[in-house]
Amino acid sequence: MSALTIAIERYQLENGLKVVFSPDKTVPVAAVNLWYGVGSRNEPAGKTGFAHLFEHMMFQGSAHVPKNKHFELIEGVGGTLNASTWFDRTNYFDTVPSHDLELALWLESDRMGWMLPAMDQEKLDNQRDVVKNEKRQRYDNQPYGDWGERLQALIYPEGHPYYHTVIGSMEDLDAATLEDVASFFSTYYVPNNAVLTVAGDVDPDQALDLVQRYFGEIEPGDAIPPLPGDPDVEPRIGTTVRDQVISEVPLPRVIMAFRIPPYSSPDFAVAEVSRALLGMGRASRLYDGLVRERRIAKSVVSYVYPLLSGASMFLVWGTGYPETDIEELENAISEEIGGLVDAAQREVDRAIALTETDLVHTLERVAQRADLLSMFELYFDDPARLNTELDRLRDVTVEQIRSFSADMLGTDNRAVLTYEPKGRP
Amino acid sequence: MSVIDRSLPPSSGPIGHFDFPSVERRRLSNGLDLRIALVPRLPVVSVRLFIRTGEAVLPADSAGLAALTAEALDGGTKKRTGRELADALESIGARFGASVGWEGTSVSLYCLADRLDEGLTLLAEAVTQPRFPSNEVERAQEQHMAGIRQRSMDPGSLASDVANSRYFADAVPYSRPLDGTLESLSSLTRTDLVGYADINYRPGNGGLIVVGDIEPSEVVDLAEKRLGAWVGSPSSGEHFSVEPDTRERRVLVVDRPGSVQSEIRVGHVGAGRSIPDYFPLSIANMVLGGTFSSRLNLNLRERNGFTYGVRSRFAFRSQAGPFEVSTAVGTEVTAAAVEEIIRELHGLVEQGPIGEEVTACRDFAAGVFGLQLETAGQIATRIAQLVVYGLPDSYFHEYRDAVRAVTTEAVTEAARQHLRPNEAQVVIVGDAKEVSGPLQDLGLGDLEVRSMKLQS
Repeated sequence: MSALTIAIERYQLENGLKVVFSPDKTVPVAAVNLWYGVGSRNEPAGKTGFAHLFEHMMFQGSAHVPKNKHFELIEGVGGTLNASTWFDRTNYFDTVPSHDLELALWLESDRMGWMLPAMDQEKLDNQRDVVKNEKRQRYDNQPYGDWGERLQALIYPEGHPYYHTVIGSMEDLDAATLEDVASFFSTYYVPNNAVLTVAGDVDPDQALDLVQRYFGEIEPGDAIPPLPGDPDVEPRIGTTVRDQVISEVPLPRVIMAFRIPPYSSPDFAVAEVSRALLGMGRASRLYDGLVRERRIAKSVVSYVYPLLSGASMFLVWGTGYPETDIEELENAISEEIGGLVDAAQREVDRAIALTETDLVHTLERVAQRADLLSMFELYFDDPARLNTELDRLRDVTVEQIRSFSADMLGTDNRAVLTYEPKGRP
Repeated sequence: MSVIDRSLPPSSGPIGHFDFPSVERRRLSNGLDLRIALVPRLPVVSVRLFIRTGEAVLPADSAGLAALTAEALDGGTKKRTGRELADALESIGARFGASVGWEGTSVSLYCLADRLDEGLTLLAEAVTQPRFPSNEVERAQEQHMAGIRQRSMDPGSLASDVANSRYFADAVPYSRPLDGTLESLSSLTRTDLVGYADINYRPGNGGLIVVGDIEPSEVVDLAEKRLGAWVGSPSSGEHFSVEPDTRERRVLVVDRPGSVQSEIRVGHVGAGRSIPDYFPLSIANMVLGGTFSSRLNLNLRERNGFTYGVRSRFAFRSQAGPFEVSTAVGTEVTAAAVEEIIRELHGLVEQGPIGEEVTACRDFAAGVFGLQLETAGQIATRIAQLVVYGLPDSYFHEYRDAVRAVTTEAVTEAARQHLRPNEAQVVIVGDAKEVSGPLQDLGLGDLEVRSMKLQS
């Protein structure tokens, strides 16, 4: 297939807001996507979970938009919307029929510029309850629900920006105040800390006029303060660290993770391809070896976290059968990872072929296109990276995979988290 | 303060032209209904092969056979082992999968358009010449049963499975989990899978849907070449009538000690896909719990903070699937949340929709339809619905007009007709010692407490 040619135009408003357009007239859809450069890594001790709670507050209205009106108006034109908070960023996205682009820009600009007048204690208390229920539903009431929290604490030292989870702790959520909302807003929700991408059936000139009209008068904020924690860590953990859990889980599970260079590092592409060899698709090493051949795992997962601060994470896991021996499963995973020192070119070709299909699939939706463009603009000042993303992975050589696995995926840089069903003989 | 007038939302611009892609229809020599849509946005293609037999035809003691057969399909062909098949597919970057519903089995392929010939060859080989080697069948069976164990300990999945057994009479297939049970699964053998595929993996009454950056005439030739020699029709149809388990409102608490939340399901037998008031009922459900701005979500989440979210849905199947409200709430507010759900059900049935509710939901449904036709796969899924439910070719071209024609009176009537709060079955998975008393005090009906049955 020929190289990707997603249309991209970049601008910056005087207040610092970075703007990316990606016109595509083939669908009657406009995606409005905002990335703010704030996430759980910006939370100091005692305020974990606040970036996410704040994201909820952004839907509680602004000076000209009453509570719930944002959802009501977007749904009322047949649009969809949501937001998410992660370690390094918070994103907000509205997808609307393209003739309602202006509505989405009005709503997003109103909360970027005029959120605070609409805040009150009742709304904060309500959304605190909602978020606490989100935490219960997604983590506390789920088998294996605490795996992320446990794993982060193994990979990162206390005080590191990724030591704590995005959802945070109940105590810290309880402690959040309206003053916290106000100071978080004026510190981080400023145009000079945001990227706005508009993709789909839009005319960039007209869209730029609208963006200027709605966002142009929002005052810039001060420079973003440094992270509260210390992102500098050794490149490797230095040993194998372990956490063994016996709890109400249906099946044994071994989670193995490694500290790897951050997303900005050239080596990150090597990690991405290595993880694809291990766990992407059913011809991958872990699936073929553990699931199909040895039948000691029901399923396998591999993932690399695209994280910015200090170090990222390389993760694999295997979920066993009721009778699977944890140690045997762990050893089998280690063997497959160790086997990467013999990685072959045809495996790389397979991984690249699958990655290409998946990327084109992602780009079928303008909302996802916009999300990637916002990310590349915010993280790397380079939205055009979207069009060269596959080349970055294609350039990875077998030799690089072999040396990366030998250097970074060994027992001196390893976290092992295991879950075993309670009451198992 | 702002220098522009922000006090009112901007109005919509001119609406651009948009229509559902046109679909070319052919019948292959073996009777397979071929539907092709040229969508040239990106160089990809999405393929769905729909086979007319699903879980609904199976007796309870072989529940899960259709699902397991589909899962074992990638275990190899007459020409290739499972590993070779996976490698062949993934080396051309193809995503392949088979999934099973009540009405049928859907085998799907997604790849770059210039790989369609190779991809379709492999898909055809997997479906028409499966080998089901015993080690791969055992693997799929173990995986499938482990999946059932996971469902049984996931409070949300458990609540849904238990609720279905309370909505439907035991003889109705919809009363059981789509994946079957450990009991039914453990009795299945390779012979069952081979027999099931031999009888049911047949083109009759099925469909092949191909959507993407392709030349329709080439797709016809390709399909004829790869699937033309595949013949026959599945033998069995769905022979059951949908009966509720009871018309008495009842409450069941599945005790999961130490739960920090209660999973709640409130529902009853719903409606089939072919009802004449499908659109009004869909809108009624949106008013109740089908959108973020729905009555249930604004009440339970935005007013009371009981939950992260709540939704309601009608599962429209070839026959009446469940109507269900589902949510997860803090343990201490379980009874209060159930009370609000029942109140909202009564409110919609007795007063009907008010103000702008119908207009807003109509506009949402008509607008979001166009937003959900971006990908080849989304379009293929829609076209597959035409095959599955026997809908007319014009259906999606007229969809938005049909939605916009729905009146408040029709929605009111559909809600009255299809929502029956007095017959609702309430199922809670949570900490029984905390929630049973307050639930009993609601006086909704007979309350039963069961201990959580661990599938072992």
